[in-house]
Amino acid sequence: MKEYPLQNIDHPNLIEDMFPHTLPPRIMFDGKIVEEIDGKRVEFDPQQALKRDLCVTDTTFRDGQQARPPYSVAQQAKLYEMLAKLNGTSSVIRQTEFFLYTKNDRAALDACRDLGYKFPEVTGWIRANKGDFRLVKEAGLKETGMLTSASDYHIFTKQRQTRQEAFDQYIEVVEAALEAGIRPRCHLEDVTRADWAGFVFPFVQKVMKLGEQAPDHLKPKIRLCDTMGFGITYPGAKAPRSVPKLIWYMNNECGVPADRLEWHGHNDFHKVLINACTGWLYGCNAANSTLFGYGERTGNPPLEGAIIELCSLRGSTMGMNLCMITEIADYMRSIHFPIADNYPLAGRDAFTTKAGIHADGMRRGDRIYNIFDTETLLGRPPRVSITDKTGVDGIVVWVNDFLGLKGSKDAVGKLDVFKIQKWVMEQYNAGGRLTSISEEELEEQTKILLPDLYAKYKGKK
Amino acid sequence: MAISKDDVARRVKEVTARVLNIDAAKIQTKDTFSGDLGAESIQSIELVASFEEEFEIEMDEDEALSVTNVAKAIDFIYDTCVKQGK
Repeated sequence: MKEYPLQNIDHPNLIEDMFPHTLPPRIMFDGKIVEEIDGKRVEFDPQQALKRDLCVTDTTFRDGQQARPPYSVAQQAKLYEMLAKLNGTSSVIRQTEFFLYTKNDRAALDACRDLGYKFPEVTGWIRANKGDFRLVKEAGLKETGMLTSASDYHIFTKQRQTRQEAFDQYIEVVEAALEAGIRPRCHLEDVTRADWAGFVFPFVQKVMKLGEQAPDHLKPKIRLCDTMGFGITYPGAKAPRSVPKLIWYMNNECGVPADRLEWHGHNDFHKVLINACTGWLYGCNAANSTLFGYGERTGNPPLEGAIIELCSLRGSTMGMNLCMITEIADYMRSIHFPIADNYPLAGRDAFTTKAGIHADGMRRGDRIYNIFDTETLLGRPPRVSITDKTGVDGIVVWVNDFLGLKGSKDAVGKLDVFKIQKWVMEQYNAGGRLTSISEEELEEQTKILLPDLYAKYKGKK
Repeated sequence: MAISKDDVARRVKEVTARVLNIDAAKIQTKDTFSGDLGAESIQSIELVASFEEEFEIEMDEDEALSVTNVAKAIDFIYDTCVKQGK
């Protein structure tokens, strides 16, 4: 066993190449990733993966709307515009898809396109019915997703078909799309519970063959739909649940290039984001997602989480305006879309501590309990929420933050604010209070107990 | 006239008694603020703030809060008074 002597250094090692603070924490790799597929050792190189055109696609208006009452046309246009602004100068959010079945669907699609943004590109979603192409053509779309369910659960039990019947029906619709000059995107529903060799691979190989003669802009895409969230990323996991193996087979046995492959997942086993982002590393360029993960049942990969993950992999914000994540969350709340207070990156309390020991850490330095510079990148400074558990350190952080004293000669310490803390504790001890102290109450106590500072920095006694 | 250590000791006990609501006569110099005299966390801070007010001095917050018993508080405050010309 190697011996590790203590390295008693003068300055802290903050491992800043990995935790730069000015960016989300970097995801770095020591070398290649190894999988065993068909009894052979297969290597995946993350550095090569990062050279590909990795992107995020959106299904807020399709899968996202399957889990809630419909958005109004104006709400969809507003959200679409905000997605475009989140892109900034990038095209990371590459596409977003729309239903085409109702007047509201088509009006929303038109309203979004009328805004004139190049990205996210608008695409459609239809069932695998030839008749539905009329809708795609009428909408003037260049690409549409189509439901091509892959598992026997769907083919035999839901569709009451044989595999051959399903195969023929799907292929007929793909051919119709190509004939109509519309790029087909085959959504392999329930693929993580399907017989890959017996149905999925033959179907995808046939689709790729049909696309061989098509011009580049029409060549079919494949969306891998982990409909029930069965996908897993563990190296060595068996088919059909293995995300890495499925992607490898798509690339290497079925001829689907990374730029025509997309992962679409669900969160039934809390694996939704890591499954999607794992796809990037193994040969799938697009991670399909929804704003705040809202989608059928347990939801889809959260778009904002996927973006931050891509920033972490790239070591860059790629020209995106990440503060829009906060603006979109505020807008969603304003239209009564629930976002849990503790929801990562966008919840009201995502960067707020209530624990006294964490407040003490925040007083000594933002970086101790802040995941990155959330104030600059997301427009969300770290905060403390005051309860009986926060302690006087929390009051110090709150007052300095509220009066803007951080780093100034007037910055307050524990001795300056203990009277506010005494008042806080009285609310709980004497009043039996069960809620947090509000910002308004704290302002009032600051005004009463620190009148000079309040007058100096807030301009009134 | 420079402050005497006896004067500091007397006034430290008076302030401690007032803040902790106990009898000054029962406070001994070996007593710890939290263990023997029952000071809660917030009262320890109030004590330091009250000592600053009583002696019209400014103490380093972290150093002052690390003082745990009455005898050390008397020494610390006396030294601070001398340094600050009280």
